Amino acid sequence: MRVEYINPFVESAFNVLKEVLQGDVHRGELYLKSTSMPVMGVAAIVGLAGDVEGRVLFDMDKPTALKIASAMNGEELNSLDDLVKATITELANMITAQSVTKLHDLGFRFDLTPPAIFTGENMEISDHDVEALIVPMQTPQGKIEINVAIRERS
Amino acid sequence: MAQVEAAVQATEAKKGSGDKVDFKMITFSLAGKEYGIDIMSVKEIAKAGRFTYVPNAAPFVRGVYNLRGDIISVIDLRTFFHLPAERKAEDALESLLILRIDEHVFGVIVDAIDKVVGISSAGIQPPHPIFGDINVKYIKGIVENSGKLYIILDVEKIFAPAREEEEPRPEVLKVAKAAAMEEAPRSAAREGEDMAASFIREALAALKGFHVSTVNETWFNRRHSEWKASKPGDAQIREAGEAEAFLQDFWSPSSGALWEADFVEAVKQVLPDNESKNINVWNPGCGKGHETWSLSIALKQRYPEARVKVWANDSDLLAISMAPNMVFPDNLPEIYGPYLSRGRNGLSFIQQVRDSVFFEFHDVLNASPLPPLDLIVCRDLLSLLSVSDQNRLLDDFGDKLKPSGVLLLGANERPGPGWSLLGSGTVSAYRKE
Repeated sequence: MRVEYINPFVESAFNVLKEVLQGDVHRGELYLKSTSMPVMGVAAIVGLAGDVEGRVLFDMDKPTALKIASAMNGEELNSLDDLVKATITELANMITAQSVTKLHDLGFRFDLTPPAIFTGENMEISDHDVEALIVPMQTPQGKIEINVAIRERS
Repeated sequence: MAQVEAAVQATEAKKGSGDKVDFKMITFSLAGKEYGIDIMSVKEIAKAGRFTYVPNAAPFVRGVYNLRGDIISVIDLRTFFHLPAERKAEDALESLLILRIDEHVFGVIVDAIDKVVGISSAGIQPPHPIFGDINVKYIKGIVENSGKLYIILDVEKIFAPAREEEEPRPEVLKVAKAAAMEEAPRSAAREGEDMAASFIREALAALKGFHVSTVNETWFNRRHSEWKASKPGDAQIREAGEAEAFLQDFWSPSSGALWEADFVEAVKQVLPDNESKNINVWNPGCGKGHETWSLSIALKQRYPEARVKVWANDSDLLAISMAPNMVFPDNLPEIYGPYLSRGRNGLSFIQQVRDSVFFEFHDVLNASPLPPLDLIVCRDLLSLLSVSDQNRLLDDFGDKLKPSGVLLLGANERPGPGWSLLGSGTVSAYRKE
């Protein structure tokens, strides 16, 4: 993944999470992965098109998703209902959109696809030909892994 | 019955060959040359267009096509062999050979389909290694028929590896690798190398991640005898400092700095003429990026007419994250002068140069999606990978390079059998045999 793309994603994830969760957010060590990876339980995905092709995946476990949705909505939510899903989807959209805006300012033209959310037990995502950058984020509500796989159109 | 036989014999006699026709092929042309494919693998021929584009597919895959209800993938043989192909209008029809290999059916786009030619399989001659345009491993043989030379393509070889997840080839490679690995200790033994050398090999691997293999064995053997001579009695390596001292003359000139003018000149001289409009270059293991900048300047001077693209990767995020916006001190070699401009933070390369370089945070051991390459510059990276990864990467290099492509390794690295040295050896530049 091009070096120029990394920072906008990391910064936006950090800023947005800090803003919506009003707490201490820590970024873990970035790394690369290209094997199939387990999905923790709730995964929001946003596709990218334009100069590049790829996707951004926001992965967290169910308790984290519930706590984040509760914090963002200002009420206690206990089941993974439509409101929770819509909130997590919106979070994914906010982070990706802010990154794309930053990239746009640097001269890279990306478009977003509408986000989608997957929930379930024992899920796995595999795309062997694409290498993903993993950005682990530790929030007071739990861990979110942002999984960015972008490549230049050839 | 006898009459029929007599007639057949008469036609054969007329042809003047006297040989039996036992091999029929469909002939077609690619970029003006004549080719043939065994008729037994051809299901039918067709004219078709408006293929459905498949995102993320290899460049030679034109898309999929609906052949009377069956969805088949369509491969452009010209792109596959890096031959020039005329871009037709969106809805123009292409000549399509429908092939059946095992249970798979593919469409193959060629320039023009000619006719069916019957020949005697005894007349097929093995491919000659200098057969330029097309990689010899895909050619079954050459045959002459009524004054024309036909190159018979081995479709099973062309499509089997791509379709079946490259399974058959890694098998072969594994055997080859095992053979290579067995050979290393044996040849070492022949040279009277003792236990001490293998301890040093292990120490280098453990302390510095440096793996001795066919890639750097020539250097290692020379360095080891020097080392022994300089430290009589105790030549063992026990700590990182000693390993560093052992490796100090391994690293290529100008590592971690912009190349000196004479090295740029040497690289320019070893690069072959290339009339292509686009020159694609891969620079894995670029570290902080100095090498990539020097390389892009060398290429700009060597191929002033072409559009050069350099993909540079490193798996060290800290090193590579500074590369795109690198600033330089004032005392640079003179050759870089015209390409630098002074910004707020100091000297940096002009936009025109920057536009040709892509720095990527990427691990070469993961899949690297790149177009066919003219040049790969990979200095002092192979030696820092495990022996099996070294072989894997070298195979990957061979597959990604165009037939005329060049591989540039570190000063003390050799790619092993299957590659031939270019130029006088001042630069370790190789071409696939």
